[in-house]
Amino acid sequence: MKKVVMGNHAVSYGVRASEAKVISAYPITPQTHIVELLSELVANGEIDAKFIKVESEHSAMAACVGASAAGSRAFTATSSQGLLLMTEMLHWAVGARLPIVLTNVNRAIGPPWSIWTDQNDSLSMRDVGWIQIYCESNQETQDAIPQAFKIAEEVQLPVMLVLDAFFLSHTYEIVDLLDVEKVREFLPPYNPELKIDPADPHSFGNLASADYYMELRYMIEEAMDEARGVIKRVGKEFGEHFGRHYGMVVPYRCDDADVILVTSGTVASTTRAVIDEMRDEGIKIGALKIRILRPFPFKEVSEVLCSAKKVAVLDRNISFGNHGIFYQEVKSALYGKTDIPVSGYILGLGGRDVTPKVIREVADKAIKDKNPEPYINWIGVKK
Amino acid sequence: MSKQTKFESYREMPIRAMTVDNMLWNETGSWRNVKPVYDNKVSPCIYGCPAGENIQHYIQLVIDRKYKEAWETIIESNPMPAVTGRVCSHPCMDKCTRGDYDESVNINAIERALGDMGLDNPEWMTKSKKSKKEKVAVVGSGPAGLTSAFYLARAGYSVTLYEAEETLGGVLRWGIPEYRLPNSVLDRVIDSILSSGKIKVKTGTAVGEDIEFKELENNFDAVFIGVGLMKSRRLGIPGEDCKGVEPGLDYLRKVNSGRASGSSGKSVVIGGGNTAMDVARSALRKGSDVTVVYRRTRTEMPAIASEIEEAEKEGIKFRFLASPKEIVTDGDKLAKVIFQEMELGEPDETGRRSPVPLEGKTFTMDVDRLFTAIGEKGDLDGFKSEVDTEWELIKVKGEFGETGRKKIFAGGDIVTGAASVVEAVAAGRRAAEKILRIFNNEKDPPVRDGTDFGIENINTDYFPKSKRVLKPRIPVSEAIKGFEEIFKGFDEQMLQKEVDRCFSCGVCNYCDNCWIYCPDASIIRKDDEYEIDFDFCKGCLVCVEECPRSALSIEEEGK
Amino acid sequence: MREARIPTDEIMGSGHLACQGCGATMAMRFALKALGRQTALVIPACCWSVIDGTFPHSAVDIPIFHTAFETAAVTASGLKAGLEMRGDHETKVVAWAGDGGTFDIGLQSLSGTAERNDDIIYVCYDNEAYMNTGIQRSSSTPVGAWTTTTPVTNYKERPKKNMIDIMAAHAIPYIATASVAFPEDLIKKFHKAKDIKGTKYIQILAPCPTGWKLSPELTVWAARKAVTSKVYPIVEVTENGNRLDVWKEFEPTSFKEYIKPQGRFRHLKEDEIDRIEKDIEASWQRLLAKEEMLSSIPGL
Repeated sequence: MKKVVMGNHAVSYGVRASEAKVISAYPITPQTHIVELLSELVANGEIDAKFIKVESEHSAMAACVGASAAGSRAFTATSSQGLLLMTEMLHWAVGARLPIVLTNVNRAIGPPWSIWTDQNDSLSMRDVGWIQIYCESNQETQDAIPQAFKIAEEVQLPVMLVLDAFFLSHTYEIVDLLDVEKVREFLPPYNPELKIDPADPHSFGNLASADYYMELRYMIEEAMDEARGVIKRVGKEFGEHFGRHYGMVVPYRCDDADVILVTSGTVASTTRAVIDEMRDEGIKIGALKIRILRPFPFKEVSEVLCSAKKVAVLDRNISFGNHGIFYQEVKSALYGKTDIPVSGYILGLGGRDVTPKVIREVADKAIKDKNPEPYINWIGVKK
Repeated sequence: MSKQTKFESYREMPIRAMTVDNMLWNETGSWRNVKPVYDNKVSPCIYGCPAGENIQHYIQLVIDRKYKEAWETIIESNPMPAVTGRVCSHPCMDKCTRGDYDESVNINAIERALGDMGLDNPEWMTKSKKSKKEKVAVVGSGPAGLTSAFYLARAGYSVTLYEAEETLGGVLRWGIPEYRLPNSVLDRVIDSILSSGKIKVKTGTAVGEDIEFKELENNFDAVFIGVGLMKSRRLGIPGEDCKGVEPGLDYLRKVNSGRASGSSGKSVVIGGGNTAMDVARSALRKGSDVTVVYRRTRTEMPAIASEIEEAEKEGIKFRFLASPKEIVTDGDKLAKVIFQEMELGEPDETGRRSPVPLEGKTFTMDVDRLFTAIGEKGDLDGFKSEVDTEWELIKVKGEFGETGRKKIFAGGDIVTGAASVVEAVAAGRRAAEKILRIFNNEKDPPVRDGTDFGIENINTDYFPKSKRVLKPRIPVSEAIKGFEEIFKGFDEQMLQKEVDRCFSCGVCNYCDNCWIYCPDASIIRKDDEYEIDFDFCKGCLVCVEECPRSALSIEEEGK
Repeated sequence: MREARIPTDEIMGSGHLACQGCGATMAMRFALKALGRQTALVIPACCWSVIDGTFPHSAVDIPIFHTAFETAAVTASGLKAGLEMRGDHETKVVAWAGDGGTFDIGLQSLSGTAERNDDIIYVCYDNEAYMNTGIQRSSSTPVGAWTTTTPVTNYKERPKKNMIDIMAAHAIPYIATASVAFPEDLIKKFHKAKDIKGTKYIQILAPCPTGWKLSPELTVWAARKAVTSKVYPIVEVTENGNRLDVWKEFEPTSFKEYIKPQGRFRHLKEDEIDRIEKDIEASWQRLLAKEEMLSSIPGL
């Protein structure tokens, strides 16, 4: 059924369709609508779940950890300060191999306080071990949730879905709402073998010596690697069930492009408009959206980019002391495969609007600059 | 025990950091340098009892409501708990550790309750089916003789019990008044003892008169002499043999056989021991106005303290530091007695200060009846030449009543002088068991040593203070009207309440403390004991500390 | 053999890594005997994170989820919710935390759980300092005690945080204190808590010989004297915080006797001991007055 739905609410409907059993969340702008609608849906019985109204985000993730350890499908949502607060428990979810799904609304980190979008919050968690999916539309946001649970439950790693604050979270688009019965065919109920069960008692998380810690970590990395195939397969299966399939990257008019712009999130949508405009001018330019940041799609990224002459990476984030983060990730993916110049552009921090004009500025700069590296291009800073 | 799980490859590991086994491979016993051991000691009450009754054990059996086994425990050491539970001076209670905390456990009352149960359940007393060839003669059917006969008969030997009187019991019947030990109870006790095996009774047979000692010596494989002290000492003053002056023991015999007449008027009893108290209280009940005259003070009186207190309560008067000097008669009947006043001088060989006459100080009392209770003597006429005597008592060597003469044993008051029923019982048993060992060519057991167990060995935190449960009694005003037994026995509720007060000094009574508090779950609770699993015991010694009764000891590791 | 005074099932086994005479293991052993095997524990960072044993071995024969320091209560809440959503309404979920993970870092999530009245039993085994990390002070450390962060020249001055009052302010159905010296009382309290729906808070005094500088055989003695010297009152708070019952049936003993064998108090001088004793008595009187006051309010 199609409905005009806010980005945040698309999340809630995705959770409803996925039959999450325990939801625990703490309010933070701009995530609040997710949990408000979820509260309503739980209260009126549309979702059969327990909603734990925790007193902090750290507790929100801890409650999810507990619920998932019991063998129930668990979900939470947060943003920025909240995500940072639950950092310790994000690690815990990974080490405990719990298939929790979290939706993070990308919001800039204070001080100063900012409620508008940039990606530093989710990206500062890229090393933790969560699978990360960056969404650009309300439909994608809803669809990502059942896929996320399916991937998570298969590889036994938690999955973080990311959407831009306000540009995605608060904007309304038409969304084809998922039907829970149909989703159940795609995503059967969660019934793990390993769980807290007095009939088969085990202790989880005991002190492990240097003799075993590495092996446990090795197994996490193995799962991450396995996730590459699983994400692609699940994205394809989703397409078979619902007509919309998803992959790890989304190339746009890259086949014969001389220059490729690499983007993520809502910037990817705006970029496509700019690509069309420049193509109309006869410029051979394309755009590559990275949907999955972790596990990083080395193969898919290098396959698309190696055929270009220049690459420009648009980062709505900054890793102080070392460029934008997608820039670093793309460069390391291309290392040894090609020596085409890769330039990096920092834009849109703290919710600064990334308009077609801004993207055009980046594209022109990328085409014009002879030797674009090694320096960071900050776009639009009042100097 | 389990082996430590070791993984050779990550492929063997669960993907979650999840445990797959317990910690029993980790034998934490290696952490110790001291270890606890279960080490039962002998409770002080057992040392306090001359008969060596396993008091701690039978009290614990009572707590478990195993009354038959408790009674059987007493019978191992004393065949007449219904008697001692009434008349014993209970030195066990003086040793009872609880006495240093609040009040000693009323062991006497507990024993009486069990003794009475034994009488109510005569089937508990098993009759010996064995038949041995040796025969033993026992002379005297007081506590020593009855006890000796009992243990020999129980072991299957034929016993012939010689008693000069027409009925059995000795001092139990003739010396102790019925308000302390009813004849009905004594009769049942004697029946119970006689039922234990082959005991042939020959009453009205005095050795030395009706049968020669030599006959016994020749016809039996062993002889035990337990004739007691049934003759009264004389005052040794002028006028002693007139009417109205009577030896206390003779009077008691009359009272106890129902032949005493009422005696109104003024009675005086000379003496300070149990006999004096028995005589005074009997005379009181027969109608007299009684005064006890004793040559020392109350402190030196050898009678059981409770007997003196009862006498006082009953209204018997006491006159201390006086001794009869002369009897004044009216015709051939007693009229007055002249008393010499005394003072206390230096201690004598018993440690008590000697009475010394105060020169010139006398007083006179009008007296209708004078009873003497200044000491008892044995009647040794039957065996004077056959055994060694000293101070008119039979001499024995060692612990087991052996006289110098082969086959001849003796025990009780005739050996020790006036002592107590329980000491006579103890002597009777020790002699009987020695005789058994001789018959079976067995070695003597090691001598029992003493103990320094005290209140400091008890963890008093586990024992709220409580008062001793007392035997119910009839009020004094009722008691003095006749010879009804003054003290009654415990009912089951009182019995259970009092046995709960027993500390079980030094002996594990399965209170569970050690097992409960062990932080390593290393004490195993088995069917009838606790076992320490030394593979895991870390030697923290909490069990030793929390044992309320020092039933655990500490040992160095490696010993 | 007489009937056992406490349940005999040994759910906590031997071979664990606790110090000799550890009070925390006594507390666990008693609690598990009361709770039975249809139980799951949530253990945050504390001594029991280590005592349980190293991967892949556990000394306890029921499921345990080890979790981060401050999250015992809420992880337990989540675990309970997860179990119920799986259709398991039988398994009792118990958060088992030390005083550090309860009074200090864990206080927020405990408050959240209690405010929501989530159906768990929260147990704080109180050894009065951060023992697992080497005896640092917590807000549960009593006045006068030495710890590595309150050395003798600057011993703990602030009073022990009153967690019972704090929990009572949350209007939860059952709060109790207990001591490892009174196992039957502790077990009875767990039986009570098991049958109540909502958040139950039980705080158990579990002396630490290592941290209290106490000879290990005196653990139970200290746990007993702490109660009889009124340092650690044994109470129950019921009727959603409106009723207080203080256990008084004991022979009082002195604070001096209690601290004598404890090295952590050895530095205290006469006048300091007297002052502390006076404070203990004053607190006790206030506690009794509160009990009296609450019982006199009609309808509660």
